[in-house]
Amino acid sequence: MASVDIHCDSITKRFGGTEVVIPFSVTLAAGQTTALVGPSGCGKSTILRMIAGLDTPDSGTVALGAEPPRTVARNGALAMAFQDPSLLPWRSARANIALGAELARKPVGDVDALIDLVGLGGFADHRPGELSGGMRQRVAIARSLISEPDVLLLDEPFGAVDAMTRRRLNEDLPPLWRSRGATVVLVTHSVQQAVLLSDRVLVLSPRPARVVADIPIALTGTRDSKLVQTAEFAALSKEIFAVLEDSI
Amino acid sequence: MTVLRLLLWLCVVLVLWEGALRLVPGSLLVSSPLAIAGYVSNNAALLARAALETSVNAAQGFVWGNLAAIGLGTIMIVFPRSARTLSAVCLLVFCVPLIASGPILRVLFGPGTGPQIALAALAVYYTTLLTLLVGLRAVSQTWTDLMRVYGRGPMSTLIRARARASLPYLFVGLQISAPAALLGAMIGEFTGAERGLGVLTLRAMRGLDTNATWALALIAALIAMIAYGSIGWLGQRVVAYRPVILLSAPAVSVRQRPWKYLLEIGFTTAFVLILWQVSMDALDLNRFFAKRPGDVWAFLAEAQNRNTVLSALAETLSFAVPGYLAGLALGAALAALVVLSPALNRATMPVAVALRAVPIITTAPLLVLAFGRGLVGTMVVVAVMIFFPTFVACQQGLRQTPGQVVDLFRSYDAGRWHLLRAAQIPAMLPAFFASARMAVPAALLAITTVEWLATGKGIGVLMATTASTSNYNMLWSCVVILAVVAVVVYAAVAAVEHRVLRIYANEQV
Repeated sequence: MASVDIHCDSITKRFGGTEVVIPFSVTLAAGQTTALVGPSGCGKSTILRMIAGLDTPDSGTVALGAEPPRTVARNGALAMAFQDPSLLPWRSARANIALGAELARKPVGDVDALIDLVGLGGFADHRPGELSGGMRQRVAIARSLISEPDVLLLDEPFGAVDAMTRRRLNEDLPPLWRSRGATVVLVTHSVQQAVLLSDRVLVLSPRPARVVADIPIALTGTRDSKLVQTAEFAALSKEIFAVLEDSI
Repeated sequence: MTVLRLLLWLCVVLVLWEGALRLVPGSLLVSSPLAIAGYVSNNAALLARAALETSVNAAQGFVWGNLAAIGLGTIMIVFPRSARTLSAVCLLVFCVPLIASGPILRVLFGPGTGPQIALAALAVYYTTLLTLLVGLRAVSQTWTDLMRVYGRGPMSTLIRARARASLPYLFVGLQISAPAALLGAMIGEFTGAERGLGVLTLRAMRGLDTNATWALALIAALIAMIAYGSIGWLGQRVVAYRPVILLSAPAVSVRQRPWKYLLEIGFTTAFVLILWQVSMDALDLNRFFAKRPGDVWAFLAEAQNRNTVLSALAETLSFAVPGYLAGLALGAALAALVVLSPALNRATMPVAVALRAVPIITTAPLLVLAFGRGLVGTMVVVAVMIFFPTFVACQQGLRQTPGQVVDLFRSYDAGRWHLLRAAQIPAMLPAFFASARMAVPAALLAITTVEWLATGKGIGVLMATTASTSNYNMLWSCVVILAVVAVVVYAAVAAVEHRVLRIYANEQV
């Protein structure tokens, strides 16, 4: 599997009269997980959408490897999980997950293994209307993983998931995309989640977004719930909180 | 600016129209703009009187029909237990084709303007009621809960929250019903008035006067568009927000046991029959023309009468069903094709919405001129009548595809065709079925009107002849049979809808 790095080169975006992103440049290393944290409405989702090629920057360029995002998407090497699960209500959980492979023009792999992994065993044939909010979100995450993307974009992916499930997903999912060498960008409100899942945390200022801190997360040991209780983890979280508070 | 551009386009169309006819002279079907203008200027006084007459009748019916809708809507909200029965009765009344109630109203009211006004009211009340109910029910659960926390009842919620929240919806209903009022008034005139645009249309049709037919259709369309436009303008002044409305009765309730459903049908039927009998008796209407349920039953019990009605009905349906299916299929297919091209979609949307302002039935004489009085002409009228509302509804339905689902497909760079097939068409299904249901009475209205006006076939013409030969038993039986057919077909479509939507729209996620 190809490792793809992500280059944002002075990208800007404005909606109407509002500058949402002013020249924003960053390079995200291949195979790394980077978290974007920042206050609500700071433009982090817009940056993610530009990386996905859903929004086009007003100026500047985004490159995934050497390609523009649309080309990568056409090759089925990009996937995104949205804040809202956005499932097709007439498809079962299994068929919704398979949609990810279908859209990426890839053979549908082992859906059932993925279903078990996200803890939906026994619910594969249920339609979204019969699932809870957290279960729907897990379907959406599984859908983004089924195509084994090189670039995986997660926009508040565990927002509606209950605390217990979130803890399990935080532990179970990262090894999956790490082992495949995917480059992951994660947008989140949760400082703890950012530290737990990422190799690097970018703290953004209120709108228009600008990087106020670039913090490498060099934690040793497995990333699980025990790690959260270590002093190292607490120090990193504290540092990020401090930057966030200063920037507001 | 947009007005200027519109005028420019109008000029271009008129010049092309005139030019095309000059190139192909001797057309009996299509009049040239200059010929139509000539007819209008030669008959200006007559046309103005007729237009005024029709407009006044339509306006009166518009007021009565909408007052009725507001009253009914209020009752249904304040007394929710009454809502099911009331809406079933309203639907039943709506299902009776106007051209069928026309002759009956004519014998009840006599030659005056009563039937025109009553038909205009009948044509508008249901559309307004539907949109108003959507508005009245658009209040969130939190609001009603808030009212209940303070111990306030449904009346308080109605006054404080629902009334204001429903205003934008009411305006949409009023706007859409304005052309319908004109349509109702004209159909009333078809059934034997002395003055009005409908009378002139009938005369022009019978005299094969192409110029007059075109002039009358255009004048009717113009009046409808002016009414539609001015109510829209007023609505914009009063309420800024304009909701998107699917013009349709709500889909059948999913959690309903069959025996309960049958019980409800039986209850509603009994209610309607009693209402019919009691209202006729209370008004002390002459049994000679005001038939009661028992009379119709006795009349249809005789095999010969029954055969006459049923064979006329069979003839009518053999034309109506293909037209109905063709109209639905074309409307949905074109909406789906147009959505593939965003530019085309943007361009056709306002045109399609503007076409709601044209009472389509006024084009029926033109279509019959163009396509003849046979199978094709009849089918085309029915199909056109259904095509436009279906197209508009499906286009709106396609837009109901959630934005994030569209984003999901875009994030994989999936093609437009793939998006259409996997997400947009399923999202369109509720709108499609809603218009398929609403199209049932529309198709029956179209077919009976064409039969009445032009083709001389089927149950429409049976009603026309029995109305003039005073065979009122036959007339009432035809109306009852048509109403039954409308309700049965409506229920059949609703049953298919129920099965399909249980899969495709069991919950919006």
